Order: sequence, then structure tokens, then C-alpha cells
Amino acid sequence: MAFAGPVLLKRIPDDPAKRKLINIDEYMATGGYESLRKAQAMTPEQIIQLVIDSNLRGRGGAGFPCGSKWKFLPKDLHPRYLAVNFDESEPGTFKDRYLTEYDPQVLLEGIAIAAFANRITTSYIYIRGEYHLQAKILEKALEEAYAKGIFGQKIPGTEIVHNCYVHRGAGAYICGEETGLLESLEGKRGWPRIKPPFPAIAGAFAKPTIINNVETLACLPYIIEYGADWFKSMGTASSAGPKLFGVSGLVHKPGVYEEELGIKMSTLIEKYAGGIKGGKYRAAIPGGVSMGVLGTDQYDAELDFDIGKKYNVLGLGTAGVIVMTDKTDLVVMLRNIVRFFAHESCGQCTPCREGTAWMHKMLNRIVAGYGKPRDFDLLMEVGLSMGSMPGTTICGLADGANWAVRTFLEKFPEDFKARLKSDHVQGVTLDAQAAAAV
Amino acid sequence: MPTMDVDGKKIAWDGKKMILQACLDAGMEIPSYCYHQGLSIVASCRICLVEIESPDPKDPAKLVKVPKLVPSCQTPAVDGMKVHSISPKARANQKAVMEFLLLNHPLDCPVCDQAGECYLQDYSYEYGRSESRFEEDKAKKPKKDIGKHVVLYSDRCIMCTRCVRFTREISGTGELAVFGRGHREEIDVFQGQSLDNPLSGNVIDICPVGALLDKDFLFTQRVWFLKKTPSISPFSSGGENISIEHNQGRVYRIKPRFNADVNKWWISDDIRYGWDFIHNNRLQTPAAKGVPQELSPAQSIGQLDQAVKKAAATPGATVLVLNAFDSTEEMFLAAQWIRRIDPQAWLTLAEPKVEGQDQVFKNPTTGAVTYTLRAEKAPNRRGAEKVLAKLAGNVCKLAEVEGKIKAGQVQTALVLADPFGHSDAALQTAVAGVETLLVLSSRPDGLVSQASLVLPVSTWAEKSGVFENYSGLIQAFKQAIDPLENTRSTGSIFWDLMDLAGTYDPAAVRRMMSELGLAEYATVALPEHHEKIELMQFTDL
Repeated sequence: MAFAGPVLLKRIPDDPAKRKLINIDEYMATGGYESLRKAQAMTPEQIIQLVIDSNLRGRGGAGFPCGSKWKFLPKDLHPRYLAVNFDESEPGTFKDRYLTEYDPQVLLEGIAIAAFANRITTSYIYIRGEYHLQAKILEKALEEAYAKGIFGQKIPGTEIVHNCYVHRGAGAYICGEETGLLESLEGKRGWPRIKPPFPAIAGAFAKPTIINNVETLACLPYIIEYGADWFKSMGTASSAGPKLFGVSGLVHKPGVYEEELGIKMSTLIEKYAGGIKGGKYRAAIPGGVSMGVLGTDQYDAELDFDIGKKYNVLGLGTAGVIVMTDKTDLVVMLRNIVRFFAHESCGQCTPCREGTAWMHKMLNRIVAGYGKPRDFDLLMEVGLSMGSMPGTTICGLADGANWAVRTFLEKFPEDFKARLKSDHVQGVTLDAQAAAAV
Repeated sequence: MPTMDVDGKKIAWDGKKMILQACLDAGMEIPSYCYHQGLSIVASCRICLVEIESPDPKDPAKLVKVPKLVPSCQTPAVDGMKVHSISPKARANQKAVMEFLLLNHPLDCPVCDQAGECYLQDYSYEYGRSESRFEEDKAKKPKKDIGKHVVLYSDRCIMCTRCVRFTREISGTGELAVFGRGHREEIDVFQGQSLDNPLSGNVIDICPVGALLDKDFLFTQRVWFLKKTPSISPFSSGGENISIEHNQGRVYRIKPRFNADVNKWWISDDIRYGWDFIHNNRLQTPAAKGVPQELSPAQSIGQLDQAVKKAAATPGATVLVLNAFDSTEEMFLAAQWIRRIDPQAWLTLAEPKVEGQDQVFKNPTTGAVTYTLRAEKAPNRRGAEKVLAKLAGNVCKLAEVEGKIKAGQVQTALVLADPFGHSDAALQTAVAGVETLLVLSSRPDGLVSQASLVLPVSTWAEKSGVFENYSGLIQAFKQAIDPLENTRSTGSIFWDLMDLAGTYDPAAVRRMMSELGLAEYATVALPEHHEKIELMQFTDL
């Protein structure tokens, strides 16, 4: 059995005109919260085993197996917290926003199931600061769920009262990094923590904490409902299940589309996103700018968790595909990406703080037409010393910046070399340059 | 004892330690900026990254290489581990971090106070590259006046956050914070506030670069001209270990000296900035009733000798007033001398000033005591009390002296005045109406104008000796600078009066004391400096 139709998006119509916010009554009328009831009839161990069997891997970017993550929680250490990572600030990524904007209850049901399975006391939905509307929607959905007794009640069979809160971020990419998120949640600067201790041992407020992505949690109700085998029937051996893909860039129909993992990028673009707009495919970012770039010959790359090894990118990331054509200026594109990293570096580790800003300044100079031949190697070296995978910094932001820079340079060297001229080397006056030009 | 192999050297350590700390304790340096033993670990400067091979938990004989570089400041040392801090990969990282740190650094070493004791300079020499490949514009950041004693040069800052952690974890006041993000971030104080706490000066010491500088020391001296003399704080009963930094007979600054049992790495601002009295407002000539006298040293102590001997004609008519600022040896000599002339001479101590209560600083998170500011503002009360207890006999309180003088019992008072005038008021009352007032003082005020003989003496920086702190810890301090012209130490005056051979020798006095039963004074270790490990190796050209 393969992918037979939308799972996560089954309540959201394809036609934008027909899309509307699904309230809790409509959600329940279409089978919502049935899975929670079913889950509550199981034991926590059974649920965790089911999630492990389903091979559900984290949808936030790293693809860490969800069930294994849950198993890291130390036994008998309470209270435990769940932090829902809804920071979604990776450029090109908007899948969680789309899902929650129309169907927020599926996330809440997933949270309730995770809370039941892990005996969670409090869940925090850490939502990106810029998501004003979505935060309001979630708060309203949460109110509805409270009214129906989904939250604020004792978890069946325990004395634990499970509460859920929406916590709004203040607008920082780094707060999507799990420990940066926890710091921000605690009201501190969003500086990623040094590990150990890992969040599963001492996370939010120094208590055991699970951090899961929105989409990961939204998968739970369907896994409970249809079982692990159904989930594994979609996708590939290593990457099971359906996945939300956000397509943006030069395509006719940018948007969020659901497909099974492992589909070809060309299929995604042509079947769903309406094909390439105004030109020929040249490059694409597979899942957020920190993953690096896919080359011209990698149009048919399979979008699954093995993409990193096969196509020399960091990984699938958030599966937010950004498509570029032969009309895209890749040097400017990389400059914009690096500007983003320089702007969002938290400033804690030296290599990332200084390196991203240096690369940004260098690329600005190249874009302005003052690039020198040695800049190519220098960019590559700065990127590498900031950290390839595994990196030299506390968190992965520097790795992301490095992968973006390095893959652009490796896969499209001619674009960059064309901008690097040797005639404005140091010591040569403008007059001499002008004379040479004549 | 567990051992590990660091670049081919065996390093042993005790208990739980991080790799970096174990290496530092064994006298081996791995470069680091953000790490400070007294503060929490943040592992953010990333220059201390090393390659490690750790023993496999299942088969300890087998070493497993960790694929990524690990921060040595944050990775626990494990028995049998192999650490590579000079491998090509580790070296490449050190070189890269040095280049990153210097990208936006103004390189204004010629006008920077930190030059000469700057980790950027040292590590740049050791680990950096000879030229910068950065040709863009450097970021410009402002200079900020952030507190009473401290000025911040933001552009020199490398964001190690040691100062921020200090105010959060040691002083517990939290005035400093990081503002902004990424390469635009800066250290600053919150709006309307300033770095104002009794320990604020310590942030200057822990700043590894020239970002936080001392207003008091700013542009006064290049640090390589300074000589360091280990000493003990004379400002309170804590016995804080300090070092006096001086050049050509002038003190320029006082820095803390590490002592795990006393003050750790810190000193209070009272100590750091209280040394003015060494150079200002000093008495330099002997005087009688406020009139300067032209007396040779021999003549002046001869007069003192005569005055006391004359008074001794009536036993018990002399009083010696000690103060808790002199070294124990000096007080012992003085008391011994006066008792030799008049075995019934009265001994007393001018009580040191006590300001409120001890101020205890705690880490707000852990509650651990980080520093205690002692209320008793004199270094050696216990030493004085020991001398009084040892010599016993006619010992009284200072307040009782007044009555004895009024009753005509005491006619002569020999006062060792304190350098700060803390007990001036009490002394005035006590010795009012005394027939002969003899004073040894380092400053020209207080009892000086009414004394029939005043001898100028030197301050603690100009002599050596021991202080006994509040807990009975006996600590020696060394002479930093020569005594001011025409002054000599109290100890040497009484040494001569006692007709002892040679020049004043505190160690000999301590031997005398231990022979008399003060055994704890027999072995007092002289202080040593915990110098930074020598990095620079100069080649002869």
C-alpha cells in the first residue's frame, strides 16, 4: 500500500476558497479525539512501543526517532514537561503554520496522546513570535479543548493533571533549536545550552522534558488510529509515513502538499506545485536553507531522511523546498541566506558569531562586484572552520551556515568564479585598473 | 590517582575534573577564554577544543576516537583517556578561532592598558596567524562608562561573558548582561543602572582582553614595568591575599592573589582602591608639638628611649597603645621593649573599627558563599591580642587609660597610631591630659600636633611581617617598595631600641615569639605568586 491521499491534511480542502478553520465540534464530528480515547485504553508502554514500531521520525529537521526520544525520559522522575516546537523559522518552511491555521485540534490531540503516553504534567506550545494569527487560533482551539476536558484533567489512571499552554517566542531563529527554545521558555536569552545534561534528563526548568515538532505530534492520532503497519506502508524503509512538503520559489503553485516520504522532488514540483515558473530548473533547497542546495543534476532527488548521504546535503530538514531556476542569481541567493544566518546567530560561540558576519560581508562585496579570486577558497575555509557536521560550536546553526555556503560553492562554482576578478588586487590603483580596461 | 595522556604527557588529577582544569592544575596550558575556575562553564569561546580518545566502557583497554572536537573545559577527564591539543585538527581550530576573534578587534594594543597581560596577544602569538585575511570594514562599537571603577571598550570585547557570569554568580548583583545578538551583541549595563557593587573591580581581572579596564589605573603605567609583590590586605580582618604592583617606589594597583581558603580569586573594591594612603598625606619628619625637628634616626629613637626610661622611674606610669594595623612582630617587639624598661608598664590596644556586620555574598542559584566582606576594618586584631595575652601583666582596655591618666597613675603614653585614623577619636579621649605623649605615625594628623615626640613610620607596603586574620590564619606579607624618605618601619625602630644586631628581621622576631610559647609563629610560609604559565619564548636574534 502506498500513499492513498492526504492524512494530516485530510480535513483541509485543496481549494483555497473552501479552506476554513476547523473548530472542535467539526473536528470531533470527523473522528477527532477518537484516537485519544483509544490511546487512553492502552498502557503508556504500548503507545511508546507502537510509536517505535511505526518508525516515526521527528519532522522538525533532524529526523530523530520519536519513540526513542520518549524512552530517554528517566523512570519515576516527575514532573515531566513537553515542549512543542512550533518556532518554525527556517526559511522556506511553513508546513506547521498551514496545518495549525486550519486544523489546530490535530496538534492538540497529538499533545494529549504524547502527554498520556509519557505522563506529562505540562505541555508548552512554543510558537514563533511572528505567528500572531496562529497563536490566536491556537489559544482559541486550546480553550475549546479545555472546555471539552481534553486538558486540565487528571490523566486517566494517574494523579497527574495535564495542562497545556501557548508560549509565544520573541522572534529568533535560534529559539527553534531545542535547548535555545527551553532557555527562551524559561524567560532567558535564547542561547542554546551545552550538553550534557540532555533535555530528557534536565530540560525546561531543570525537569525532564520532551521536545517534539508540531507535525510529529500531529502524526500520533493517525498512528494510534490506523496502526504502525499502515504508517510504515508509506514512505521508504528508513523514512516512514506521510510528510508535509512546503514548496516555494519559482513554481506556479507554491504551497504545502502532503505526500509520502521518499517521493522525487521532480514529482513534488510537477505534480503538485504546478511546475517550474519562467525558466529551467537549476537548483533547489531540500528543506530549509540550512540543509544546503541540490544541484542541477539532482532534480530527481528522493525526499527522505537519506537524502543527505546520497546528494551531499545536510539532510531533509523541514522539507521546505525552495526552487531556483536558471534565472536565479545564485550568488545573491547565497548572500541572502548568509545574511539570514549572520542576523540570527545567537552570538554565543566565537566561530558562528564572527564567521557568519564575515561571510556576509565577503558575499556583499562579491555581489557588489569587488570579489577577488581568493575569496572562493576563503569562503570555503571559513565555512569549514565554523563547522562541518559534526561542528565546532554548541548548536547546529553554524553547521547550517556552513552547509549552505559549502554546497553552493561546490555545486555551482562557475557562478561564483565568474564574479571573482583578479584585476582589483590590493596595491593596484584605480587608475591602473582603468588603464588596463582601456 | 587517575591519569590521562595529553599530547604525550601524563597528567594525573584527583576527584572529578574537566580536562582543561586537570591540565591547568598540572601546569599545562590549553588555550581558553571563557573558562574561569570560579565561574560556571559556558564553553562558548571554542578555542579549547581538543581531540579525544576515550576508553570504551565495554573494553577499557580499547580507545575510541570521538569524531568531533570536544570542548576541554566541559568534558570530564576520564582515566586512561588520550587528549590531543596540538593535533592538526585542534591546531586548525585554534588558528581559526584566533582569526575570528581578531576580525573586529581594533588591534589598538599600543594604547590599550591590557597590552602585556592580554590573552589575545599571548594566544595570537602562540596559536594565531601572522596576518589577517579580513579585508572588510571592522565593526565599530562604543566605549562605555559602566560603573564607578570600570570602563568598557566594547570593540575590544570577545564576548567570553566572564564578567556577566561574575555579576550573576559571585556578587549576585547581576548588573551586566549581553545585549543584542550575533556579531552586533555587546556587554552592557541595564538602562539607568551602573556596575556598582563592592566587588565590581574583579570584572577587570577576569576580563581576558582589554575590554573592561580600571579607571583608577587607566593610562598610568604599562603593565610590563610593574613588579608584583605578594602581600596581605591591610584593610580588613579577612586576610585577603593580594599582590601589590609597583614600579620605581610607587604603587600603581592592587590585584587579588589566588588563595582557595581565603579570598579565592576575588577582592573587594575597598582593598583594590584603598591604597592611596601609601603615597598621600604622609608624615616625613620627626616633630615635637607640631614643630618639625631636625633629628637623625639615631637621635630620634634616642629621644624616645630617654622619654620612656625617664617615665619608668615610677613603675606602671607608662602605657603602650598598640593598633591592629602593625604586624605581630612589631607589636611584640614594642611590647617587649617597654616591658624590659618598665616591667609594670601598661599595655593596651586601640580597638579596630567595626562597620556594621560582615557582608556575605552568595551565588543566588546555589546559595554557596562566594565572598565575605569583613566588618572589622583592621588586619591584625588577633595578632595584637595574642601579644597582649602572652605578655599579660598590666594589660587594660583603652577606655581605662583615661582614668589612669586622670588619677595621675600614668604620665607617659607611647601610641602606635593607625594609618587611617580609625581610632583617633578614642585615642584623643584616652590620652587627654597625659604628661608625655609619644607617637609613631605614618600620617601628619591625629595626635601628631599635641605629641611631645612624633616619629614618622612606614606603611605596610614598605615593610614585611605577618598578619593574623579573623580565623587565626597567620599569613606573611612582603615588602613591596622602599620606605618613604625619612621614615622607617615600627619594627626597625624597636629592633634598634632592643639593641638587636643587624637590621630588623621579622623572621628572627617570630623565632623569639615561638621560643616564648607562640609556637604557631615558628613556621610561617612566605607567600608565593601563582603566576600564569609562561607562554612567550623569545628567540635571540
